[in-house]
Amino acid sequence: MTVSAIEFSRLGPPKLQLYAMRCQSCKQLSPWWEHFHCYKCGGEVLTEELLEGRGELTNYTVVYYPPRDFLGQEPYVVGHITMDEGVLLPAPVVDTALEDVQVGTRVKSTLRRMKLGHEGDIYYSQKFVVDPNPPKKRARPAAAKAAPAKKAPAKAPATKAAPAKKAPAKAAAPARTRTAAAKTK
Amino acid sequence: MRVGVLGIGKTPHKIQHSKSLRDLIVEAGRGAIADAGVSPSDIEMLYVGNVGSVGFNYENSTGLMAAHHLGVVPAGAVRVEAACGTGAWALHLGVVAIASGLYDTVMVVGAEKMNDLATVEATSIIAQAADSKEEYFSGLTFPSGVALTARKYMQIYGLTEEDLAHTAVKNHHYGARNPFAHLRFECTVEEVMKSAKVADPLKLYEVCPMTDAGSALILCREEILRDQPDKPQVYITASQMATGTWYAATDTLEDAYRLFNEPAKRAYAMAGVTADDIDVAEIYNSFSIQEPLGIEGLGFAEPGEGWKGAKDGSTWKDGKVAVNLSGGLLCKGHPLGATGATQAVDIIEQLRGTAPEGIQAQDPEIGITACRGGPGAVGAIHIYQRLEGE
Repeated sequence: MTVSAIEFSRLGPPKLQLYAMRCQSCKQLSPWWEHFHCYKCGGEVLTEELLEGRGELTNYTVVYYPPRDFLGQEPYVVGHITMDEGVLLPAPVVDTALEDVQVGTRVKSTLRRMKLGHEGDIYYSQKFVVDPNPPKKRARPAAAKAAPAKKAPAKAPATKAAPAKKAPAKAAAPARTRTAAAKTK
Repeated sequence: MRVGVLGIGKTPHKIQHSKSLRDLIVEAGRGAIADAGVSPSDIEMLYVGNVGSVGFNYENSTGLMAAHHLGVVPAGAVRVEAACGTGAWALHLGVVAIASGLYDTVMVVGAEKMNDLATVEATSIIAQAADSKEEYFSGLTFPSGVALTARKYMQIYGLTEEDLAHTAVKNHHYGARNPFAHLRFECTVEEVMKSAKVADPLKLYEVCPMTDAGSALILCREEILRDQPDKPQVYITASQMATGTWYAATDTLEDAYRLFNEPAKRAYAMAGVTADDIDVAEIYNSFSIQEPLGIEGLGFAEPGEGWKGAKDGSTWKDGKVAVNLSGGLLCKGHPLGATGATQAVDIIEQLRGTAPEGIQAQDPEIGITACRGGPGAVGAIHIYQRLEGE
């Protein structure tokens, strides 16, 4: 939980954007932390893919006893959000009454203050709010939640967001960071 | 493979403000040494399971500290860490050390001193057993990570919160009868349902407390125990470890099943027994939902049905297989590094027939412990057998 200012310089900036890692071998889309190898096929070439930021709450819990960095935010909702691109990500769901949260709720990402570090450092990252304009035709009904993520590649072609949005310098920054981190291991 | 259990010891499992980590290690260790009838100089290697002394107690090198204060110098000593599976991993290394033929007598200690810090600090330290830099950056804690598993199980198998509450009721029934347990009260399904929410859908009585405790074992070559027929003839006949996923987001119920099922299959083969042969089991349940998951992984029930035993009686003391007669982690608490070792000590007491009144099973011969750690990352299985007159 606690990180030093130096570590924050590595961890912080990537968290400002919402992205996932696309395996170039099997096209599996994995959470952002899977940058050493694909957990499905073992492929070692993964590239960042920015996400549109919309998805569906497929699981959630309400945290009543938070870790130190989240003190004061409790009770808060942490959801498992299945992004429209097919990858499942964990994130807080905010700006909604606890009793209004349910599996199947459409949500969208928003950049928020995530938490406070022990040195008073502020972490910004992606939280989710209820999507005020959910797509009319639901992409994945709640009942399909158990379906394996195999659908993902078909639904979100690799050509979609990746090449175009990877160009900005911001998107390249996390890649450099992670490469450096990998080399030190 | 047969590794003799020469001695066992444990401290009470509770909040112990008057005792330090080293106090717990020495108390448990001396208990095992006395029970084994050996002297510290007989011990050739010491494995100390401890998860978080750096965070909980601001001290490190726990293995070396233990070696000094237990008086086993110059034997080798090392600290072992594998999240909540730590104690079981220390035991595994002890078993391997004997089975390899390299040592005759080794000592295994598991200990954790958690209550020097406030809950919020301790919760943060515990969260480091998962990826606190990435996945748990989202505000997840261990209770809430497991709560997601519980809801997933409920979605897929139709389990209700009331159904799950029976697991807490069973554990507390036995925990109330275990003088070494942290929480010693019985409760009803209604009381479980009414207890405070910790991480929806998990409630207070379905969550383990933070506990200070130590447990220890002295292991030896089979022949050494055989030559002492007056001692209880309990042997470890299988020890198998596995890893699973370190991330709650990608941890499916199938993964949770495999985490125990893979090493359990290997362990049954190693011991030459089947799931049907098991009389008593200690299954990791720092949260209620983990008990049914463990019951399924060990092959006592089909996936999706592991919760039924607590309701229909088949996992109670006189049922088909008695699960967590100690009260489980829900009542003993979960002193992280101690837990795996405590499970072993509790099962060995069952096989020796020395478990406390009210929780001693009827003449059990074969027992199993299943310890897990991390979001779904460590699976540890040990099988124990009473082998008299062979």
